Amino acid sequence: MSDPKRRSLLKAGVAALGAAVLGKQTEDRAEAGHGHHRSGPPGKADHAHPRWGMVIDLDRCTLCSSCTTACRQENNVPSVGPDDDHRGALIEWIGILWQEPEQPGALPTGMPFPCQHCADAPCVKVCPVGATFKSPDGITMQIWDRCIGCRYCMVACPYGRRSFNWEEPEWSGTQVQMLNPDVATRPGGVVEKCTFCHHRIRRLREDAAVEGRELRDEELQRLPACAAACPAEAITFGDLHDPESKVATQARDPRRFQLLDYLGTDPSVIYLKRDRR
Amino acid sequence: MTPPAAPERSPLRPVTGLWYLLVLLSALALGFGLYAYSIQLERGDIATGLRNPGNGGAAWGFYIVFYVYFVGVSFAGITVASLARLFHIETLKPVTRLAELLTIVALIVGALMVLADLGRPLDGLQKLPMLARPSSPFYGTFTLVVSGYLFSSLVFFILAARRDAATMARTGPRLLRPLYRLWASGFREEGVAHARHWRTSYWLALTILPLLVIAHSTLGFIFGIQSGRPGWFSALQAPAFVVLAGVSGTGMLILFALLARSIFRIRDLVPEAAIRWLGTFLWVLAAVYLYFIIVEELTSTYAAPRADRTIAHEVVEGTFSTSFWVAVGCLFGAFLIPFVMYLRKGGSLGWLAVAALLANVAAVVKRLLIVVPSQTHGGLLRMRQGVYTPTWVEAGVVIGGAGMLGLAILVFGRYFPLVPSHVTDEQRHTPVPRDPLRSIVSLVWLFGSLALIIFGLGDSFRLWSHGELDPRVPFSPAIFATGVILLFSTAIVYEAFPARRRTPPARVAKPPPRATLRRKAMPPRVDVRAQFRSSRDRRIRRTS
Repeated sequence: MSDPKRRSLLKAGVAALGAAVLGKQTEDRAEAGHGHHRSGPPGKADHAHPRWGMVIDLDRCTLCSSCTTACRQENNVPSVGPDDDHRGALIEWIGILWQEPEQPGALPTGMPFPCQHCADAPCVKVCPVGATFKSPDGITMQIWDRCIGCRYCMVACPYGRRSFNWEEPEWSGTQVQMLNPDVATRPGGVVEKCTFCHHRIRRLREDAAVEGRELRDEELQRLPACAAACPAEAITFGDLHDPESKVATQARDPRRFQLLDYLGTDPSVIYLKRDRR
Repeated sequence: MTPPAAPERSPLRPVTGLWYLLVLLSALALGFGLYAYSIQLERGDIATGLRNPGNGGAAWGFYIVFYVYFVGVSFAGITVASLARLFHIETLKPVTRLAELLTIVALIVGALMVLADLGRPLDGLQKLPMLARPSSPFYGTFTLVVSGYLFSSLVFFILAARRDAATMARTGPRLLRPLYRLWASGFREEGVAHARHWRTSYWLALTILPLLVIAHSTLGFIFGIQSGRPGWFSALQAPAFVVLAGVSGTGMLILFALLARSIFRIRDLVPEAAIRWLGTFLWVLAAVYLYFIIVEELTSTYAAPRADRTIAHEVVEGTFSTSFWVAVGCLFGAFLIPFVMYLRKGGSLGWLAVAALLANVAAVVKRLLIVVPSQTHGGLLRMRQGVYTPTWVEAGVVIGGAGMLGLAILVFGRYFPLVPSHVTDEQRHTPVPRDPLRSIVSLVWLFGSLALIIFGLGDSFRLWSHGELDPRVPFSPAIFATGVILLFSTAIVYEAFPARRRTPPARVAKPPPRATLRRKAMPPRVDVRAQFRSSRDRRIRRTS
């Protein structure tokens, strides 16, 4: 993003406006995707602008759903009623993507399924008010207060990882006491989604700043609530830009794959195939 | 104006009993819609049949379908009015005002449908003008469609009716006369005014037609550019939306013209030829859309990716097959009936009404088939398939919107003539005197609004925000929209600018012929060619 370039475009006047606008869009996209750094072999470490990512090793995953429960607890995800009317109104930030068993009679398989935090996120492009955006460290964020509830992001997301608050969430007396004060509750009529436990990263950053040191990979690996809760340590979190980090090392595993990678969204969540030995 | 010998008669005619019945029905529908919406506001969007896509539901349903439908209905109105002006189609002139009115009201109702869809409508009203981003097709929807398209139509409508407003200011109901006078905005019955309007309407019509295509394409792009939604992701969406808008809009215009003829007793003013012309327009558009359906289904069934094929299968022979064949059947009817009438050069107008109704049924059902199946069955990952059943609340809000549309047109027709008064060609081609002040003010207005558009659009694109989420100047999308509105209102400024104080009428009564005066003042004519010839002759003579 160079200012002189932009200024010269503006000076070119009305005729250049179209070009400037297109150029700006491309720049925006480049910025959003960190210049389309592929998440595969990571480049140089850039701690000022990390790219937070997650590796989920399906070989380790036992589909115990601890991650989904921990996430609900951590992020004050409201539960919806049990009746038929509420089918499809379920709000979940991380769920399980169940897959049909390959042979009849075999156990069903699946994978933990959080927001993929795409580098080139379709939901970010379509949001009419900028309520969802790419943070500089690669997280697809959502500002609840800014959302107008048009649900365009929900229909644009190829992964279906966005949930709408179809009604005002209600918390009973004991539930209120169990709410996490670090995460704001959302009103009815807005879309919500996984933030990679952004508040935990922020707190860690603040602590590190107080101690005058860099973030350490060990303290990042199990940082999000889902990763912390996983008994099999299947979920690893960290900076994909740091080649030494565990997450980047795992991301170079030959078993790696990204969901719907042919769409070119470049997810920050990388799966490791189940190894059938 | 010279006072007329006999007292001037109002152009309004008494309405039939059907008017009262229809007004009652429309008002009831509107009331029901408001009640339904109040339920939705109270309970939240759980009151609708919409749910999370990928989790067993569809996030967009009736509201978006009818938003697209109502905006589509608005298509025909302004197209017909623009075509009538650009190609000077006198046959269509009697239906132009009704057409423009339909456009304006349908656009407003369409915008209300989006508002009903929003989870937080008040935040939407505040944040869209403040923060809207052009990279979202919703920006196009709210600025291009609503401001540009609506206001250009409004300007077209207001200017074309100034003369009748002036008549109504003299003859209409006393209570409303100030309103009529405001509308007439100093219209004077003279050739120059007609000639000026003839000019501005030409430029407006020329501007509106491309804007119209852009606006309807924007609607198509809402769906067509989503690569993650098989069934939507197609370059055909934008042109198909334009054409289907034309089908439903022309159909609706035929219905309204036929109804207006009997309700307002204006059978003699709206000739059958005008409605037959619309019938011809209808079968052409319906045929084009049938072609689009064939192209779409062939492409998505022949060797398309799995998800596209699943949706095509669901639509043509699966869950949605009944709706699909109803839509195709209705569309075929909307093509066949007017086509046969066209070939036979006759036939009852009642049949045309049937075709128009079929066109609208087809448009609604086809839109439903565009919006819903891709969300419920179009997951690229093998996720839970969804169902979408609209609740009575959604249906109620849509019925309310339709009631509002009917009510607005019925009430307007009761207090304003729906057929424009006749303007002769002679009046239209009156020479327009030079009026530098008027031109300068209009040009300044035009360039001022262009500046607002450029600034508003640039800032909406966050060109000067240095990576911030917000535009540099708050409400820059609103600045862009204001620019668009002002751009079109240049036509109003040009036409309604107060005329220069002329010489008192006494002297105008016997004006000296200006042409002769000028000729007298000019120096005696010199025949340059003759002079040249003679000098050349002299030269030739000298050389020889």
